[in-house]
Amino acid sequence: MTDPLLDVDDVYQSYGEESVLEGISFEMERQDVKVLVGPSGSGKSTMLRCINRLTDIDDGDIRLDGNSIFEMDANDLRRQVGMVFQDFNLFAHLTALENVTLGLKRVLDMGERKAVEKAAWQLEQVGLREQANSYPAELSGGQKQRVGIARALAMDPKLMLFDEPTSALDPELIGEVLSVMRELAEEGMTMLVVTHEMGFAKQAATDVLFLDEGKLVEQGPPEQIFENPEHDRTAAFLSRLTQLHGGQ
Amino acid sequence: MSRSTQRLVRDGILAAFWVWFSARLLNDWFGGVFVPAGQPFFDPQPVADAASVIGDTAASLGIVGVPVGWVASALDSISFAMTYLPDLAAGAWLTVVLTTLGIVFGIVLAVPLAAARVYGRITRWISLGFIELIRGTPLLAQLFVLYYALPLSGWINAIPFVGSGIVPAQAVWVAIIGFTINSAAYQAEYIRGSIEGVDPGQLTAARAIGLSQLQGIRYVVLPQALRFAIPSWTNELVYLVKYSSLASFITVAELYHAAESAAYDNYRFLDLFLLAAVVYVLLVLSATTTMEWVRKRVAIPGVGGSAGGRTSTE
Repeated sequence: MTDPLLDVDDVYQSYGEESVLEGISFEMERQDVKVLVGPSGSGKSTMLRCINRLTDIDDGDIRLDGNSIFEMDANDLRRQVGMVFQDFNLFAHLTALENVTLGLKRVLDMGERKAVEKAAWQLEQVGLREQANSYPAELSGGQKQRVGIARALAMDPKLMLFDEPTSALDPELIGEVLSVMRELAEEGMTMLVVTHEMGFAKQAATDVLFLDEGKLVEQGPPEQIFENPEHDRTAAFLSRLTQLHGGQ
Repeated sequence: MSRSTQRLVRDGILAAFWVWFSARLLNDWFGGVFVPAGQPFFDPQPVADAASVIGDTAASLGIVGVPVGWVASALDSISFAMTYLPDLAAGAWLTVVLTTLGIVFGIVLAVPLAAARVYGRITRWISLGFIELIRGTPLLAQLFVLYYALPLSGWINAIPFVGSGIVPAQAVWVAIIGFTINSAAYQAEYIRGSIEGVDPGQLTAARAIGLSQLQGIRYVVLPQALRFAIPSWTNELVYLVKYSSLASFITVAELYHAAESAAYDNYRFLDLFLLAAVVYVLLVLSATTTMEWVRKRVAIPGVGGSAGGRTSTE
């Protein structure tokens, strides 16, 4: 039996006195799309940031391809794990194309021409060929986030982390980002997504994980979690969320 | 006056100044290309004669002659300026050299100092100590220490070509070192402020694609921070143009020193310092105009709080 791609093993994390994650464990196989849901402050974003070591953990272990990420070089780990941010965090002084080429050139040591070629292709994949030479300030929120996705994808990651990728978007711009993410899921990318978009969870997720107060309350395929949750807390939270964000 | 007219007037004045200034330096360095070195391009004597004739006429006209008297004193000022501007030009050149090299070398030191101050651990304290020491003591005292207390002048004198041809003498180099150190401390604080003004998410995103912290600072944070810093840089440059006059205390014959020496010849201190003031204003205007050009040149939409080159409505 091969190792799971990602193995989160009894992870504890705290900021000072405040405990954020209290013994989280889950695994992801290749091509899994897992959606993390939970009330704000439940530790979803912290969980993601632990996986690419933007945040340190107190106890437990996280393994990528069977190797503890804490024994890897952090930069090495991060080039294998793509991350998409709620606030996009596009490099403000670089064009869409340059946002994508920076990592190719400086992290993967790709030559200028190859990097530009790859970045242009990647932007085309997310439907932004026309915007390659625009600066972030000249793009809409949805376009910015698609550049953010292209920037992460260009590094050929094994795993993509999405931290509330549509929360900062106007409602009419959410669709274009979700459809890029759905395509990505269909192509077989392994994705761990923090989102309140229940429509996306129902359509694309292999599993939904419900986090509350730093604990993994329950997980299972979306049908089970949405139709037949084991815990009342899950049911209460999801019904509130579905009222707000609905399916499609 | 509309803004474009204002700009036209400003650019016209600056163009005239720099044409004169370069012609002057060219002439004096190469031993008299147009006129003998140090001599005015145009003889001021006829203007002075005209001034005295008109002045006499004004006196004979009584009360009606007052406005005519103004014309006479204006002509007198012009002939005075024509006579002494060549002396000031050599000093103004040193002022330009001191200021430009001080600010440029200062930036080179200031960027690592600022980065250390924001991101360093031990280096943060070294940087902080240096910055506070330099900002906490007078520039003049720093120049005195460098010039009189340290063996710096001796070392510089040992370097070939120092003080020969158009290579300035050792005191100038000591002053450049002083201004570099001083402006580095101030600029480091400006740049620290602008580094802290860059959204921390930018560095997080850089780290997230696998760039090291140093790469993140170099390729993501600094290109934005340095653009934010341009307005404060302009300010520092403007200060330095005038602070460079302190170099006269360690024998550097810059603009203020040149005006003072000329005044000892004729005792027209007020007139010479006014003339020097006009040259200072023109140098400062040149500095701000250049920095404005640089700002527009490197502007990016959404960075530095400006609309940026592309979307600018100008």
